[in-house]
Amino acid sequence: MNVRLKIKRFNPETDKKPYWKEYELDMEPKDRVLDALHEVKWTQDGTLSLRRSCAHGVCGSDAMRINGRNRLACKVFVDDEMKTGKGAIMIEPILGLPVIKDMIVDMEPFMAHYRAVMPFLVNDTEPGPRERLQSPQDRERFDDTTKCILCACCTTSCPSFWARGEYVGPAAIVQAHRFIFDTRDQAAEERLAVLNEPDGIWRCRTVFNCTEACPRGIQVTKAIGEVKEALRTGVIA
Amino acid sequence: MTTSTHPANAATTVRRVKPFPVARNNFERALWIFMRYSGLALVFFAISHFGLQHLLVGTHNLKVADTELRWGLTGQPVTVEQIAWRAYYLVLLILAMGHGLNGFRQVAYDYLHARGIYRGALLVAGALIVFLTILGAVALFMGASPLKR
Repeated sequence: MNVRLKIKRFNPETDKKPYWKEYELDMEPKDRVLDALHEVKWTQDGTLSLRRSCAHGVCGSDAMRINGRNRLACKVFVDDEMKTGKGAIMIEPILGLPVIKDMIVDMEPFMAHYRAVMPFLVNDTEPGPRERLQSPQDRERFDDTTKCILCACCTTSCPSFWARGEYVGPAAIVQAHRFIFDTRDQAAEERLAVLNEPDGIWRCRTVFNCTEACPRGIQVTKAIGEVKEALRTGVIA
Repeated sequence: MTTSTHPANAATTVRRVKPFPVARNNFERALWIFMRYSGLALVFFAISHFGLQHLLVGTHNLKVADTELRWGLTGQPVTVEQIAWRAYYLVLLILAMGHGLNGFRQVAYDYLHARGIYRGALLVAGALIVFLTILGAVALFMGASPLKR
């Protein structure tokens, strides 16, 4: 099928501001947008820059704004996006992070928020001869938030983050949720204290963009609500 | 942190964070809770006020005299019912102004990144809100034209 891509290009060394460039391609309907971008890069314009690694929706490298929605380019089909885009697929870098070149953004502000919530197990007690045990029900409690791949689709779809980059953002809250609700962890109070700061969880306006954007299907807004409730009541259940 | 078993589901562990509140700064948390409760209350106030003025009284029958009678501003001794109406509108006034001011503060915090401009905008909005609240309270207890009395 004939596929038209409209790609937002920007090279800070030669361009004063971003501009849209169109590409015509012949693709299979069930090729993915990442395949189309590869086709452009490998056969038409080698200067196109993008991140990708596994190409199977696991590594989270190729998050971009496709037809106005944050998606992993490796998880969406060109025929679906041609229908959504009414004849052309609009591709931009994710919003709210500084653009380095084309689809590549500086992930450091995002990672700084991630680090702030201490995304690692904290437990100073002796683990015992084999491992720290946990009931299946306790493990199930935070199962949804273990699926995060740090693609930044949620955080960069959040209007609060667009307006103020200091906001810790949904991805960091999801990571905090994963450890706060883990019974083996002992640093819930420290994480809740970080999220209770002025640029913490209370900046969330429950817009649900994060849930809509998550390529892993994590109920992000629900997780944020559960952390808010833990902060409000002091009960982690 | 203490650990106990959830009564509804014996297998799920419930932990209680201690000491709580855990954070150094509970200002945002307190205002977040205020916005939820005041928002719920304002839905009740807005619907009941709308129902009274626009449906029961009717938009074509709205007169200052009716309001003065309801609020006890006719010069006669004030009844308990009139005090209740004053309380109703005073709570509505304070909640609406507080809710609005904090809503403005949230938007200003998001978009006004220069600290000085943010504080200045908050000062202007806060002063305006306090002035309007006092003005509304004066009207509620002394009538719309107190200086003419």
